[in-house]
Amino acid sequence: MSGVLAVYGKEIKLYFRSPIAYFVLAVFLLGTGYFFSYNLFVSGLATMRETFQNMGLLAVILLPVVSMRLFATEYSAGTYELLATLPLAPWQVVLGKYLGALTMLVLMAFGTVLDLVPLYLFGAPETSTIFSGYLGFLLLGSACLAIGQLCSSLTENQIVAALVTVSILLGFWFVGHLQSFQTVQFLRELFLYVSFAWHFGEFIEGLARFESLALFVLFAAGALILNVCALEWRR
Amino acid sequence: MSYPVELHSLTKTYGERTVVDRVSFHVGQGEIVGFLGPNGAGKTTTLRMIAGYLAPTSGQVTVAGHDVISSPTASAAAVGYAPERPALYESFDVLGYLHFVARAKRVRRADTASQLDRVVSACRLEAVARSEVYKLSKGYRQRLGLAQALLGQPEVLLLDEPTSGLDPGQISETREVIRSFGHDQSVLLSTHILPEVTLLCDRIAILHHGQLLAIDSPAGLATAVGRANRVELQVAAGEPSDLKERLLDISGVIRVDVDDRQVPYAVNCAVDSSGNVEAAIARAVARDWDLLALRRHDPSLEDVFLHYVEGAA
Repeated sequence: MSGVLAVYGKEIKLYFRSPIAYFVLAVFLLGTGYFFSYNLFVSGLATMRETFQNMGLLAVILLPVVSMRLFATEYSAGTYELLATLPLAPWQVVLGKYLGALTMLVLMAFGTVLDLVPLYLFGAPETSTIFSGYLGFLLLGSACLAIGQLCSSLTENQIVAALVTVSILLGFWFVGHLQSFQTVQFLRELFLYVSFAWHFGEFIEGLARFESLALFVLFAAGALILNVCALEWRR
Repeated sequence: MSYPVELHSLTKTYGERTVVDRVSFHVGQGEIVGFLGPNGAGKTTTLRMIAGYLAPTSGQVTVAGHDVISSPTASAAAVGYAPERPALYESFDVLGYLHFVARAKRVRRADTASQLDRVVSACRLEAVARSEVYKLSKGYRQRLGLAQALLGQPEVLLLDEPTSGLDPGQISETREVIRSFGHDQSVLLSTHILPEVTLLCDRIAILHHGQLLAIDSPAGLATAVGRANRVELQVAAGEPSDLKERLLDISGVIRVDVDDRQVPYAVNCAVDSSGNVEAAIARAVARDWDLLALRRHDPSLEDVFLHYVEGAA
């Protein structure tokens, strides 16, 4: 575990010694803050439902910026040669980097907790629904980061990594819309089942279903396992 | 008996191209082995396979008794590897970077400070210890790359062109560091700088087109290519063709080149390394010509290197 923690510590340092962490946090909090204020003060909706919806879409667009550099810059800067020759197993490198990225996700979620203050002051939100929404956000973000990290491990160009990740994530976000065009029942169910937006929507409604939780965990675990395989394959 | 580094028929191919071709040798305890070869000879690829960065296509590498493929973490723990282009995190400061490497190498927390002091001092990094890596000069970057390799007191040091791009003073300091650590650790050093190998290495491995052409001590290699010994003469005017015939009659003289474009003639004899052939040459020439100068050249490392590389070509 010490190897994982060494990589994790390095990642956290790297995030906060570059403008990326501050940029992502600022854009995310400004975006969610704007939508939250609009929903609360203009639309008069004293719930987190719409804000969570916006948080999910913002995460799908912004998290690739967090994950894009994870391996791509190590390759292009030549530092992967160091990582790969230190006494660290590939899974330790993958997990250490992933935990670093997850920390960014938690900070993003934590930043929105401030929104809850006026919500509880001016309304009567359901606490369990809010917990469920945050759980869904963290699960959605975990899957997005793992997919982004996998994409980053496949290229030396972080812009390419970000663009491919955004394309994949937007695909999984909007794939649910395709079900209305399908006449085949199996395809209708499949498109709905792999839709990130639909499963995240369940969490926002307060339905923390095992099926939705399992989907995000499976996506994250699968991407991380493929990430380890990609590193082994590079040798 | 197992050596700190053992290569058995190590091969690396990329598609149809063989970059390293059945290379076998070992590096003994406390031995410094120099890896010589022209660009593209396969030196870096071989070092990368020993370091565990690349997997061999076939063959075996063991480091400190651990197979690099089946026990990658154990073998990596025994290796300190400094790539040619130092692998540095630009936004870290020097101590922060070394601290990360120490943690990744599982240096005990209680020993971390003393180890950092040791490598910072050995690589003369004290003046820049708090500086960010991106602010370092090329010389400091190279030394920081060496310092990270020394952390954790690895049994084996793999150094890829450790003095490339350094000024003469820095080269001398870096060689001193390598020499001091070479007493306790086994060092495999890749370089283009021939004098560096002569100054530092106990044995030299010559690699060309991925094949190991020779591995021996500098003296052993010079003896092995003894046929490249030369005797140079300066002879006052006379018939050059007669002079050439006379010299070729001498036992031990293999080839004679006479440059008769100007007087005195410059005569270059390739001679056998055995026996005192220059005395016989002197006697034979002095009988009918005015011998102005005679000098024997033992093969330099450059001669040795060119002998093998051109021979292979």
